[in-house]
Amino acid sequence: MADPRLTIARRELATLRSEKTIVLALLIQLFIAAFSSFLVVGLVSLYDPGSVEGYETTVGVTGDATDDLLRVVDDQASMEGVAYGSQATARAAFQSGEVDAVLLADRRAGRVFVTATAPDGNVRTTIVVVQLREALSTFERVERGERSTYLSATPLDLPPRSGSTPYYGFSYTVLLPLLCFLPVFISGSITVDSVTEEFERGTLELLRVAPVSTVDIVDGKVWAAAALAPVQAGLWLALLAFNGTTVRHPLALLLVVAALALLVVTLGATIALLAPDRRAAQFLYSVGVLVAFGGTTLLPLNPVNTVARLAVDSVGPTYPLLVAGYLVLGGGAYVLLRRAVPRIGLAD
Amino acid sequence: MSGPRDRLRAATRDAREGLRSVARIARWETSRSAGVVDRQTAILGLVALLMAGAVGGAAMATGGVALDRDVYRIGVAADSPYSEVVEESPALAARPPDLDRLGRDVDVVVQQERFYVADSQKARAALSTFRDAVRRHNLGRMREEGNQSAAFPVVVTLRYADRVPSGAVTAGSGSGTGTGAESGTDTDTGSTDATDGDGTGSGTDGGGADTASVGTGGESTGDGPLGVPGVGGVGGLLGGGGTSGSPADISPPFPFGALVLAFVFFIPMNFVIQPYGSTILNERINRRGELLLVAPVSPSAIVAGKTLPYLGLLVGITTLVALAIGGGPVSVAAVVPIATLYLAATFVGGMFARSFKELTFVTVSISVFLTSYAFVPAIFTNVTPIALISPLTLVVHDLQGTGVTAAQYVFSTGPFYVGSAVLFLLGVGVYREEDMFTQRPVPLKFLDALNSRITGLKSVAVLSALAIPFVFIAELLAIAVLFVLPVEVSIPLLLVAVATVEEVAKSVHLYAGFRGPFAGRRGWQTALTLGALSGLGFFLGEKLTAIVQLVGLPNLTLGRAAFSSAGVAATPAVGLLLLFAPLVLHATTTSIASLGATRDRTWYLAALVPAIGVHTAYNLAVVSFLG
Repeated sequence: MADPRLTIARRELATLRSEKTIVLALLIQLFIAAFSSFLVVGLVSLYDPGSVEGYETTVGVTGDATDDLLRVVDDQASMEGVAYGSQATARAAFQSGEVDAVLLADRRAGRVFVTATAPDGNVRTTIVVVQLREALSTFERVERGERSTYLSATPLDLPPRSGSTPYYGFSYTVLLPLLCFLPVFISGSITVDSVTEEFERGTLELLRVAPVSTVDIVDGKVWAAAALAPVQAGLWLALLAFNGTTVRHPLALLLVVAALALLVVTLGATIALLAPDRRAAQFLYSVGVLVAFGGTTLLPLNPVNTVARLAVDSVGPTYPLLVAGYLVLGGGAYVLLRRAVPRIGLAD
Repeated sequence: MSGPRDRLRAATRDAREGLRSVARIARWETSRSAGVVDRQTAILGLVALLMAGAVGGAAMATGGVALDRDVYRIGVAADSPYSEVVEESPALAARPPDLDRLGRDVDVVVQQERFYVADSQKARAALSTFRDAVRRHNLGRMREEGNQSAAFPVVVTLRYADRVPSGAVTAGSGSGTGTGAESGTDTDTGSTDATDGDGTGSGTDGGGADTASVGTGGESTGDGPLGVPGVGGVGGLLGGGGTSGSPADISPPFPFGALVLAFVFFIPMNFVIQPYGSTILNERINRRGELLLVAPVSPSAIVAGKTLPYLGLLVGITTLVALAIGGGPVSVAAVVPIATLYLAATFVGGMFARSFKELTFVTVSISVFLTSYAFVPAIFTNVTPIALISPLTLVVHDLQGTGVTAAQYVFSTGPFYVGSAVLFLLGVGVYREEDMFTQRPVPLKFLDALNSRITGLKSVAVLSALAIPFVFIAELLAIAVLFVLPVEVSIPLLLVAVATVEEVAKSVHLYAGFRGPFAGRRGWQTALTLGALSGLGFFLGEKLTAIVQLVGLPNLTLGRAAFSSAGVAATPAVGLLLLFAPLVLHATTTSIASLGATRDRTWYLAALVPAIGVHTAYNLAVVSFLG
């Protein structure tokens, strides 16, 4: 007969398959990933000036600083300025839709006071405001340059503009860690459910009269759940690569995920053994995981950051040490749990 | 002649009896759930909660977490003025300025005021981050300057004004005038302070702002001390977009602070539905719920009794959260329907799930879908009135201090109330022995639940109409997911997705019906009748929503584009045509699907294809016709 622990692990996976829960799990992860991408891409295209250059904005300029401001506005990409002699004509042009925004610029007390009027309450508002901000920032730089003799320090020159999308940073520091750690959390939750359900249904008694030890039962459950996470993470890595997001050090990444999965699954199993009611166990597990992951993000070498830096290849040559550290952590927790199981005592 | 009175008395007695049993079950549920928590668990939970609080506090104190720490490496000499910038920015790591290692160990090298960039996406992203960091650094330096008027020579005041199209002042805007006038005045006083007595300017602007109906002016009240430019960013956190100061301080109207605070309402919900789902599923394990089932109480009383403690708990927590973050009664009233829908969905999940594992996935799906449904529209609170489809928008309005009208409340919470009621109805339908204690796949349970609500021809139409809140939710999520793709792909895909969602919603209960009450009548006449009825029900529901939109939100132009098949048209002639075209469409397509549903699943799915095809073609025609 095969190793009973393997048999238990196989049974765990079989129920997951028969209930098709794993499909639902993958769908949820895909949804979360697509959704966070939507949020970021959508917000960025709304709130980032670089990506809205397709829109041509016409700005009415009036006031006694019109000439200087108009020069800056016309220099901006996708912006066009129209001078108006009075505020009333500018306002009329705004109302009739000839211009998208009005800038009233007056020089007073050594400063330029600009009153910007933007259309209210539609999608264009954000784009117009962002473009106005760009133009006025440039205007500020020009004006500041003229007053540089009164300043003790000159501002540093800006590095050139690059054609980079903000999506790059998001893919590696948010999306990829999300896809790597969601399977880990789900695996832990599965373990909690699996153990508490044996208690609830009373099937643990049946398992225990079989020739297996309690440690074997826990082993089987932990193995099954912990093995699922790196498989899913690998799937996401492949999908990302297919989508054009190349991930460096994939093997190291998967090892980190496997180690963390072992750690979290061990945590789940421990909680479920200590508090065998699902309500309490799931609550403790979710708070515990939140605390653990929230807490580690404060550390300089947190898991999210590790995954991101591995994926963009911003790690030094010592990265195998880092990965080994995670493996020791996960393995250590697992060994501790195995030691502790006989002492917890499952006789309720 | 005392018949009616007797009946009334009997009914009152029954109701009182029912309420009493609900209360009894609620008490029992509370005491049993509390009994689960032994001292060990309680201590563990307390420790965990304290640690969660400590972690949150630490994150707040240290100014948030840097997930992108040292992701980009900049080669910069220690004596370069840029080395300070690299040190300040967590995402950048300083490396020696070695041009030979460019592209391998370093992404960008700064040498003698020149920038060398490796040829890779990462290097470009690094340069972009570096540019932002330099800009921030410059801003910081300028704030320390003694001569502030030279450091910040430009002072900007941003205001929003409504463009009133000529002659389009509708009578319906009466409800909005109150808030509009109020926020208009706010803007005025704010800007008068800001521009230091710029009399003529703000005077004439006042005229413009008065016409603004739904003003976003609330923000400008937060920025009091505008004499010193460049501090607006701090004061404006709650309101979102800054409206005055240096050009770098103005930002689009994005209610970031209010959104983050509104998210606090969601955290307890995700925790409370866990035990609630457990207690529902617990009844179904080892036939534990049988005793309760044979007791002389109705299933709905049992469900109500089991749900009440959790609903009460959520209402209590919501009130506390509202008190803590400064929300008013409007916030509570807007969050409670969300909580109800959370519980309703979890209840159905608990009734359908076969095991705890399955229940976990169901609850996770519920959390993910409902959170995103509530959140995404709220982001656009200050941008478009369609944001009101989420009750969270009401919370954001409430936190920002802009008012909420009764019509807006009904519009955004209505689908949540109806949706919860429908879900509870479906769940109670399978709260019976033959469904509770059997292990059947979730889809079959779902069909059973639908069947328990099909009693005759009329119920088919009613079920179709009741599906509309869920159709809205699904369509919104489709928009959200497809948004990432380029427009040429996403628009056709979206039309297909919308057609699919609507066709499935109109026909899935017919499929269930042919496996239940209509099993003996699978002729084509029945199929066509049911299909037409279902289409009619859906059409009526859709029209009702359109009318609510029209009454509640008269200036909602975007909504017309998004749900064009609802047939709210510009001119009467087109309107009349579009009024009945959807009816014909819905009836036709559902009849096609219905014909397939009389056979088996493969036939049903096969018949859905032409139905969806026709529907998509119609939507495409409407979209291109209306421009």
